[in-house]
Amino acid sequence: MPRSLWNGTIAFGLVRVPVKLHSATESKRIPLRERHATDGAAIEHRRICAKEDREIPYSEIVKGFEVSSGSFVVLSKEEIAAADGSGAHVVEIEHFVNGEQIDPVYYERAYYLSPGKFGDESYRMLHAALKRSGRVGIGRFVFHNKAHLVAVRALEDVIAMHTMRFADEIVPESEFEIVTPQKDPSKLEVDTAQLLVSQLDSSFEPDAYNDTYREAVMQLIERKARGEAIEAPESQQVAPTGDLLSALRASLEQHDGARRPGADGSPDGSHSSGRVVGKRSRTRGGH
Amino acid sequence: MARPLWSGSLSFGLVNVPVVLYSAVRDRSVRFNQLHEPDGSPIETRRMCAHEQREVPWEEIAKGYELDDGRWVLLSDADLDSAAPRKSHTIDIESFVEEREIDPLYLDRPYLLVAESESAARAYALLGEAMRRSGKVALGRFVLRAKEHLVSIRPRGEMLTLTTMRFHDEVRVSAEIADEIDAAATPTHEQIENAMAIIEELEVQFDPTRYRDEHRAHLERIIKRKQKGQKISVPVADESKPPAPTAPDLMGALEQSLARIRGENASKKKGKKTRTSERDADRSGSGSPRA
Repeated sequence: MPRSLWNGTIAFGLVRVPVKLHSATESKRIPLRERHATDGAAIEHRRICAKEDREIPYSEIVKGFEVSSGSFVVLSKEEIAAADGSGAHVVEIEHFVNGEQIDPVYYERAYYLSPGKFGDESYRMLHAALKRSGRVGIGRFVFHNKAHLVAVRALEDVIAMHTMRFADEIVPESEFEIVTPQKDPSKLEVDTAQLLVSQLDSSFEPDAYNDTYREAVMQLIERKARGEAIEAPESQQVAPTGDLLSALRASLEQHDGARRPGADGSPDGSHSSGRVVGKRSRTRGGH
Repeated sequence: MARPLWSGSLSFGLVNVPVVLYSAVRDRSVRFNQLHEPDGSPIETRRMCAHEQREVPWEEIAKGYELDDGRWVLLSDADLDSAAPRKSHTIDIESFVEEREIDPLYLDRPYLLVAESESAARAYALLGEAMRRSGKVALGRFVLRAKEHLVSIRPRGEMLTLTTMRFHDEVRVSAEIADEIDAAATPTHEQIENAMAIIEELEVQFDPTRYRDEHRAHLERIIKRKQKGQKISVPVADESKPPAPTAPDLMGALEQSLARIRGENASKKKGKKTRTSERDADRSGSGSPRA
């Protein structure tokens, strides 16, 4: 059983559901650290006072907010904590919404909830009510000194909770200079592209995708540890496709009758050679 | 405009679209700088070589992996590129799926894709249009910052957004949690019906602009007051216990909630000020009426 990160209560109306919070995810990133390329030594991050040019112990460091260039307002830990609110361990549900209305960009981190002490019955009730109504609870809670907007929803067997991004944290499209094509795609091009979309139509099976890069990097590390030289990959500059329609038609023919992509995905470095079997060929790359 | 995080090619069949990737989110939390207390001057973080005791420029920083025997293997960016040269520069679209099939548990970070040039813009527009018409989202893979990502790409407004996703082994199995739930503590049909009635009464359209980051706003107010030289009163830490569990009287809490919410909704419709009836509070029993 994973350790809980937080114990508290889900509140909706006058109903209180005691819950425990667990992370629903874990990163499988290869742990890489900064090292000095010339001698392989560790890199230390040191805090240096810009004025005195000497290292400063942690006890002499305070937090300042830059109100204008070079001018800071210093806040104590307690003053910063004053913004945290009551510190009550409650997820206050304000509304319920149809989950399909939530743009995926708002979802941040995912957690699972389990029942807290004496909470099994009310937990199961909330789970059943969310599941049957298909609704998602929107609420707030304070976690790690930060107020979070959260979405509470039923999975098949448990309740999940997501922290959500606030609307002003989403970069508006208007901030980008959108390059518009001189000529819009023709109807024939769109139709052909749509054909290709339906040819690649599939259902999402998370198990079908494995992180092959992680394995490739681990093999690379082993080779380097044995002292093998690693060839630099060839440049991977790709020119935009000129004749869209013929590229689309060629794609349709290529995929026609061919093995469905998925599982291992397209092999690195080559589009046509099918599955990459050898271990070495994958790390060598480039072809 | 933000800086691009990656540039490469979005590949769809044999169609290649040169694109640049931007973050679709920005951190709005209040940023503090570290200052040296006696003189108030900013603290700089310097990268120092532990062996040579000198500052190390960026170009001399490599990534290191520690082997079991304590030795370190150094990897340059080119080494990492060579582990998957195509994936490091190309987002290969592998399939198209229904958006609702992707459980939000898999979603990680959102990005925006922008066509790199005018000649790329046409193929970019074409892919967006084909997805809009078929109502599907694309699944693909690429390597960003020394990590392979499963990604979903969907049209949003005039642009394509890319969301990195977690691999299945990065999402924990919920069965471990489900096993903890007491199977004997079965809620009654009536309790579930009442909970659903509350959900219905509190249902709204999802409007993200309705929710403000109050914590951030509060912190900004504190900074303003401090800047004017005002004193900040620090509240005494509220180490209060979590509210008592409602297990003894779940039904009572449900009924009172419903009566109260329905009362509020009715008076809202009449345009009157919302008031909680005293009768509700009297009957609250173990459910603390804090909402």
